[in-house]
Amino acid sequence: MDALSEVVSVLYQFGTNAVFLLLSAIGLIVILGMMNIINLAHGEFMMMGAYIATIATEHGSPLPVAAFLSFLGVALFGMILERLVIRRFYGRELGALVVTWGISLILAQGALLLFGPYMPAIAIPSGSFSLGRYSFSYYWLILIAVSIILVGALWLIYNRTSFGLMARATMQNPAMARSLGVDVEKVYALTFGLGAGLAGLSGALLAPTTSIAPFMGQQFVAPAFITVVVGGGANVIAGAVGSSALLSFVQTPVGLLLGTFSGMVALLLTALIIIRILPAGISSLLQGRSRLAGAR
Amino acid sequence: MRQLFRLIGGSHDIGSSRWFWSALTALAAAFLFYPLFGSEFGATNVAYYLLNIPLGLGLALLWGYGGVLSFGQTAFFTIAGYVYGIVAGNMTENSAGTVVASCAGLAAAGVVSAAFGYFVFFGRVAAWIVPILTLVLTLLLSTFLGLTAGYQWRVGSVLLGGYNGMTGIPALQVGDFVFQGYSFYYVTLALVILCYLGLRMLVNSHPGQVVIAMREDELRTELLGYDVRLQQLGVFVLAALLSGISGLLYVQWGNYITPSSAGLIQATLPVIWVAVGGRDSLLAVCIATFLLNQLTYVLSSQGNQYALVIVGVILVAVMLFAPQGIVVAIARSRWWRRTVDPNASSHG
Amino acid sequence: MTEQDAEKTPLSGKSEAGSTSGNDERPRGGPVMDRRTLMQGAGAAVAATTVLSRAMPVRAASDEPVKIGFIEDQSGNLSIYGIQKLHAAQLAVQEINDGLTLAGGPVGSGGMGTFGSYAAQPPVEKEIGAEEQFINDGGPQSQKGMVFAEDSDVLIKSGDTGILGRKVQLIAPDGQSTNTLWQQLTRRLIQEDKVDVLVAGFASAEREAIRPIVDQHKQLYFYTNQYEGGVADEFTFCTGAVCEQQVIPVMQYMVEKYGPRIFTIAANYNFGQLTAAWVRSFAPVLKAQVIAEEFPPLEVSEFSTVIAHVQQAKPDWVMTLLVGQNQSNYYPQAAAAGLKYPMASTVNMAQGYEHKRFKPPSLANMHNAVNYMQEIPTKRNQEFVKRFYKMFPNDPYLGQMAQNTYFSIHLYAKAARLAGTTDQQRVRKVLEAGWAIEAPEGSVFLEPGTHHCSHYIRLAKADADHNISFVREWPMIEAWWLQRLGVNLVRHPEHKQYVPDEDPFFKMFVASK
Repeated sequence: MDALSEVVSVLYQFGTNAVFLLLSAIGLIVILGMMNIINLAHGEFMMMGAYIATIATEHGSPLPVAAFLSFLGVALFGMILERLVIRRFYGRELGALVVTWGISLILAQGALLLFGPYMPAIAIPSGSFSLGRYSFSYYWLILIAVSIILVGALWLIYNRTSFGLMARATMQNPAMARSLGVDVEKVYALTFGLGAGLAGLSGALLAPTTSIAPFMGQQFVAPAFITVVVGGGANVIAGAVGSSALLSFVQTPVGLLLGTFSGMVALLLTALIIIRILPAGISSLLQGRSRLAGAR
Repeated sequence: MRQLFRLIGGSHDIGSSRWFWSALTALAAAFLFYPLFGSEFGATNVAYYLLNIPLGLGLALLWGYGGVLSFGQTAFFTIAGYVYGIVAGNMTENSAGTVVASCAGLAAAGVVSAAFGYFVFFGRVAAWIVPILTLVLTLLLSTFLGLTAGYQWRVGSVLLGGYNGMTGIPALQVGDFVFQGYSFYYVTLALVILCYLGLRMLVNSHPGQVVIAMREDELRTELLGYDVRLQQLGVFVLAALLSGISGLLYVQWGNYITPSSAGLIQATLPVIWVAVGGRDSLLAVCIATFLLNQLTYVLSSQGNQYALVIVGVILVAVMLFAPQGIVVAIARSRWWRRTVDPNASSHG
Repeated sequence: MTEQDAEKTPLSGKSEAGSTSGNDERPRGGPVMDRRTLMQGAGAAVAATTVLSRAMPVRAASDEPVKIGFIEDQSGNLSIYGIQKLHAAQLAVQEINDGLTLAGGPVGSGGMGTFGSYAAQPPVEKEIGAEEQFINDGGPQSQKGMVFAEDSDVLIKSGDTGILGRKVQLIAPDGQSTNTLWQQLTRRLIQEDKVDVLVAGFASAEREAIRPIVDQHKQLYFYTNQYEGGVADEFTFCTGAVCEQQVIPVMQYMVEKYGPRIFTIAANYNFGQLTAAWVRSFAPVLKAQVIAEEFPPLEVSEFSTVIAHVQQAKPDWVMTLLVGQNQSNYYPQAAAAGLKYPMASTVNMAQGYEHKRFKPPSLANMHNAVNYMQEIPTKRNQEFVKRFYKMFPNDPYLGQMAQNTYFSIHLYAKAARLAGTTDQQRVRKVLEAGWAIEAPEGSVFLEPGTHHCSHYIRLAKADADHNISFVREWPMIEAWWLQRLGVNLVRHPEHKQYVPDEDPFFKMFVASK
């Protein structure tokens, strides 16, 4: 029983670390991975999602509803932003970087001015279970399940719907897509909106585990970028899943043995090495093996 | 000597007419004589805006002229600062201690950048990978430095201090003369002018032309017989040395450094200065770095709660309306060439 | 927003007629040529043993305000701490300008005894029968475990408007949680605005960033936050609580109540490392043992590894020394994971009001030895809390460093009044006479040689609904660590911060390490 609870504990931590990386990254998978926009406002999208969810739960709505509202709200905001600002930066990644950094400053400071330095936290739902001498929160297990569903849904959208087909075509070759009758403008707007909405959704989902403050987005930015880049562009979705698993696989044991700090250092070192050796990310490895990929 | 002037006056930076040079000389003179009118506090403040310029110039060289975007400038800034702090802190009885420490700081920045540059460039990674790798390097550095809060983390008699920072870093001292206040201002000004003119000569010279060619078309440059990897490494190390200069000046200015100097936010600042000023031009970057730092300070010191919002709005506006950078846009605009500086070349 | 207005417009009143004697120029190191000072030579007035501040004759009025430089983070990550300190400062300045002050005064003969309050009745012998004698310990038992009852009316008239007839102006720029900006702002306040006193700093990093500048310019400086202790600086007065005042009481209580096996989770930051060192070194004295330690970095917000460690180690209680908003996420996560160990801290709740920000039962069974929390039930504190919320009705909480800021500014005003001048070196010397002041927390004593304060310490406990009760009190705990290190800034001025490594007692009782 003891050995079992030890194993479960390690697996649980591995899972929580991985799902934290994956949820941080999921909005960026679409925006950076597919649209090649270096979105430094990603953390603030997640913050907006968390704020919307907090306000919604304060008014009595249950967390799933609040999360859905976050998705819609941030997606809408993303589409507006895309139309007004982002669309001038396709192909100019570095300009996008600067402009999204400016937007992130406006959003974060704006949240401070509008809502004050903090908001009351959302309670973590659904209690805990214990095994041996450990006890675990159910919520992270729920998050693991939800993120698998989200990734699956994303994959379905991109590989099994006509929208997905149009989107992939547009990303690959906009001129050709346009000449084939695809409304390229709309595809861009919807894709960016989807990415933003996903970021808002994961912000809402992660909100109960963190404190709600205007600059809370900063804690997600670095993990998100590292996860997406290590995943690589060959197959963005599979890549991100693979990289969160791989990075967590390194971070968890090191963290267990040497402390949380060393876990983070190990994660960063691993990322450094992988990016250098496999510039196209680990998805290039996966792409080689499986034909399920489809994207790009 | 004429060769020198030809190099400085070359065309790879904005401004080359006589009008331009007289204006620039007047500007330099204004800075030179500023301490006569300004208070010591004012001079210390202006020194802070000035000391960031080499950091920006390094990135301008690397990104604007070399085509390689790096988030690692602040990493080398921090390394130089910490090494200086360690060496100078351990050599306090020695009057040449700070000079040795400055050399040590620069050397450290150079060695680390050479090693990391080798790791990056000799693998021939795609251009867009470099920013990510350098960002990870910077985060790694700041995470590691943050680890050092415990009391066992000391080098000689100097505590690294973790997030509390390294305190009591000695100011630059030559013999018995300590550079503080006005004297520090002049040291900074002199270094900045030297860096700018030196870089200007470099980009107009033959090696500089090669670097620019590399930015334009790597393959072609390689086919012409130049080892692109070595070129990139060279520019990377030079940029790191420039950041190191800024780092040294910073710790001599404030006597204090923390790991947050290598944090995510700080890492994006040079990119912003260069983007706002215009990465094609060294002078533009100088101006933008100075003005943006001044703006941030003025806004915050007024207790203005909208400081960050204003900076954000400026960034967005600049990228929307003057994407090649404000200063460059002005300098190359037809308005400027027609009304202000008819002798300016239209090609920057 | 009112705060914005308050920041932009100094709290100035009408300008008074009358000449300005000197100016506020402080030539570094030279004599101060100020009419008031010359007349006042009387730092010797320090020997006065008045309990209440006497009304000072109004000096030749000046329209030059007394400037208090105040730097805190009003934006950025540390703003939840900075804004309450700013508001407390504004309250204090307002009261000073309205002619009010806190009771208190210099202590010529030293010690708390200068301040009397009513005590329980004296003991009485009673005979019962021929053989037995009972000693009645006098009157009704002391209330709620307090040794003496406190005065409730501590906000009294100062007999002055502002300080020495001059209005007090608070100059409060925003540090934006950025160290470089702190340095620039400190230089500006000292060199340009020429503030008479600097009150600044929340994080130790911020304080250490500006202390060299303070020392260089010989600026009178108050650091009003609890911190890890050890600052021995002739120009700095630290009025917050330090480790020996918080760690030891809370450990005593926890070991007594819950057991000797301790798990420490401390921020990987100077404050966390040092406080953990205190816990480690003191545990053997209590026959307790630190069975494991974790030092998560400041950015970490996901604690499953730490939680697993705790569960693996099975301590009797957990010492949490977590700093910043990211790290306070530990509490809801640990509660959600079903962690039920009692917890103790010296920082949380009183500073970042986690018991208000997080939903119950995240902070259930949390204990903290605090010098101040707004829930303290004494009448004088209730009055203070009322006054604060009257001026700032939208504030979420009134924490310990806000209260420290409040009484520190009042203390400065009293010292300047007694010195008869705002000349910084003069006021500093007057402060080094030793002062006692009736703060909302209780009586506080500023010790001359160490520039630190004694505090009234109470053990706060949060229950499952996050209600606070105070289960034990120590009416006065001195900041004795610097005394043990031999620091006496009156005799031997210094400018450093001591670390535990420099104190041989730290290793004395630790069995291994």
